[in-house]
Amino acid sequence: MRWHKRLLVAGVAGVVAMTASACAGGQVRGAGRTPQPSTDTSTGTSTGAAEAPAAKANDATFVYAPNLDVVTDWDPASSYSNEIIAMSNIYEGLTRYDAGARKPMPRLATEWSSAAGGKEWTFKLRQGVKFHTGAPLDAEAAKKAIERTMKLNAGAAYIWGAVKTIEAVDASTLKFTLKYAAPLDLVASSGYAAYIYDTAAADKLKDGESDAGTGPYTIDTWQKGKETELTLKAFDGYWGGWKPEQYRKVAFRVTPEITTAWQLLQKGEVNFVPRLNPQLFAQAGTTEGVQTSQKPSFQNLLVLFNTATGPTKDVKVRQALQLAIDYDGLVAALKGAGTKASGLVPEGLLGHVQGMEPKQDLARAAELLNAAGYGQDLEELKLTMTYAQGDEDQKLLVTLLSSTLKKLNVTLQAKPMAWNAQWDLGKKKGQDIFVMYWYPDYPDAYSWFLNVFKSADKPQFNLSYLKNAEIDKAIDALPQLSATDALAADQAYADLQKKIIQEQAAVAAPYVQTYQRALSATVQGYTDNPAYPNVVFFYDLKPAG
Amino acid sequence: MPRYVARRLGQAFLVVAGVVVLTFVVTRLLPGDPAVAFAGPKATPQQLAEARARFGLDDPLPVQLWNYVRDLLTGDWGTSLRTRRPVLSDLYLAFPASLELVGSALLLAVLAGIPAGVLAARHRTRLPDFGVRVGGMLAVSVPVFWLALALQTVFAGNLDWFPVAGEYDTALDTTSPLTLWTNITLVDALITGNWPILTSTLRHLVLPAIVVAAYPTGVIAQMTRAALIEEAGQDHIRLERALGFGETSILVRFALRPALNPLLSLIALVFAYAIVNGFLVEAVFNWPGLGRYAVDAISYSDVPAIAGVALLVALVYVLANLVVDLLQGVVDPRARQR
Repeated sequence: MRWHKRLLVAGVAGVVAMTASACAGGQVRGAGRTPQPSTDTSTGTSTGAAEAPAAKANDATFVYAPNLDVVTDWDPASSYSNEIIAMSNIYEGLTRYDAGARKPMPRLATEWSSAAGGKEWTFKLRQGVKFHTGAPLDAEAAKKAIERTMKLNAGAAYIWGAVKTIEAVDASTLKFTLKYAAPLDLVASSGYAAYIYDTAAADKLKDGESDAGTGPYTIDTWQKGKETELTLKAFDGYWGGWKPEQYRKVAFRVTPEITTAWQLLQKGEVNFVPRLNPQLFAQAGTTEGVQTSQKPSFQNLLVLFNTATGPTKDVKVRQALQLAIDYDGLVAALKGAGTKASGLVPEGLLGHVQGMEPKQDLARAAELLNAAGYGQDLEELKLTMTYAQGDEDQKLLVTLLSSTLKKLNVTLQAKPMAWNAQWDLGKKKGQDIFVMYWYPDYPDAYSWFLNVFKSADKPQFNLSYLKNAEIDKAIDALPQLSATDALAADQAYADLQKKIIQEQAAVAAPYVQTYQRALSATVQGYTDNPAYPNVVFFYDLKPAG
Repeated sequence: MPRYVARRLGQAFLVVAGVVVLTFVVTRLLPGDPAVAFAGPKATPQQLAEARARFGLDDPLPVQLWNYVRDLLTGDWGTSLRTRRPVLSDLYLAFPASLELVGSALLLAVLAGIPAGVLAARHRTRLPDFGVRVGGMLAVSVPVFWLALALQTVFAGNLDWFPVAGEYDTALDTTSPLTLWTNITLVDALITGNWPILTSTLRHLVLPAIVVAAYPTGVIAQMTRAALIEEAGQDHIRLERALGFGETSILVRFALRPALNPLLSLIALVFAYAIVNGFLVEAVFNWPGLGRYAVDAISYSDVPAIAGVALLVALVYVLANLVVDLLQGVVDPRARQR
């Protein structure tokens, strides 16, 4: 045999061997039950539309284009990642937070009350609710779900930390007794670890073939690693019922590149892109067939100053740094991706205060630095700062702050780091300034104060290392106030923010991140709920026409 | 020949062993605690301790290395901190799509690169030669990410000739569900005669395959040209010319054959390179391959997944070189003496 023929034979043999070794044994991709994750009937035609039959008017599929994997954990007890978007449509909690009203609204519970100074909570459950498994929802089932989540103690299960006992008083009444006062109606509205699910099916969930929720949608197909990773279909037995115009099918088409997502949206192949860069977002605002939505989130940037060691131990240095930040310039440079913050608590949460917007004042900053022994004609001040690697918004802050501080004879050595490395260093008090985002796991401002500013011998997230008994005492009083007296809680939060930001100067909060969404113009009913980051409640939407 | 094969296999084993140790050391040198990546950004100290215990991160490094090698040998490549699934299962899902893309791109590169090289050598120092050399240089030097975005914008976005992204139109999962045998969509569609998915995949493949093929095409064309020009100075070529063969016939029939040997080595090298180079292309075209998995793993500091991808790419590289070495041993007995 001539050598090139041998090569050919070897090549063919190689392909056959590779094929045989990779043999998956005849599984059917999509298993023939996947809804078409194409356009809804009223949007533009997709590139591949010629290959697929057109959908009926009430058979439209809503296509969401996330930039990351859709699901990493199917267990509603431990789920604590991107799957919140899908899970929030499959599972429900006792309550759901309404950012406009700044309070939780009924979901699986129709009414609730607290007693004993916020240490006892009673929830009345909605009647006629069924799990996707077919089992009915009653107080005993809800009790088991929360108890399982608490027992697994994974993800955000800590939110139930105040719960001492749960009692199913009768089929529709659930009573919680707490170890200490806490706003349990807010806890129950969390996007993580607050789902009520059928525990009888909980051990069969990890493969994503079925679910155990009560929400309007149920899993249709899950193909890990594929472009259309997940499809959901309407749960016919949903307690809220179905109207003909609602989306009965949802598909998640993973699109890591923003520019690709934008192209797909323009072509009508996807309906919702959760994030665009400022340039594309501006373009989306003027593009036919596309609508945009912009709303401040519950996530703000915190610039934490080291109050325990180094030059920033001096409160005058910290105050000077606060005044050196060009807040307006930073927000302008963000081009809509951020809104100037007012205090530590974002708008939409109990505890948000108006009129605490920070301002740059370089003259006063120079005075404070001089008083601390630094500044022009005095000793040069060198500071170390860590921030998130790859975060362009944080990089903007660093660039602006570095150039401003240079004028004040302060050299900023800023180091971009991966979160776990930055956090490791922060726990060892290894920097003067620590930059990070903070967001609450459930819509309660308490999260900022308990985690970030309460004294801790071994700092976890208290990366300003603030230790102040008076502030600790005020923080400890917050849960009971939130549970019993919202007005008093509001005032307590305002007082605390003044102490932490103005008196202690432990932190600067330059901006709140803004969600910039782009979606098909034909989608009606979309509102962004910052309590559930990136979540679209598909049940509330309908295609135009 | 058996001694030659044994020697090459031994060398390949040593390289793989080296890669395993190096991968382990490098992943342990990465800053930060892998337990944080697993337990989440707001993990409690108890959750972090549990994660550390689960992954044996508190064991001494030699013990961790021993456990790592032992697990690898038993087919356990660890659990991804991000997907929480076995890394090997994740790689099995992602790698076939990359193989499909890179295989198609290399086929394209060979089909375009070799004739381009022949054309340049045939018309040396004239316009076609100049065109191939400039084109080859451009193909090699243009950043793949830029090329991917440019082709996508022009040919998918503006002209609408090809789909914007994806492996195939997923609506076909309903109308023409694909039975999986190899997990390589093109191969499975061909085996099972699923023509709708086959044609849709081919349409989706065109743009990303062209982008991935750009670099190998440029290299192969330039290498072919250089090898043919060198071969053209040999005595046997002068004899064939004296015998009255035409220039094209001489190049294709007599000069190309000996020039193919170094080309085979080159193709093995660019194959492994193209897999990594294709990561960015996969991201732009939503190609569900190893690229997306690798990028997510890196951004999440998912140490077991990063190690898995590194090991897989190294294995592909070693395997491709081994296959070429063995083929050269078969084709050219002189190679066995080297």
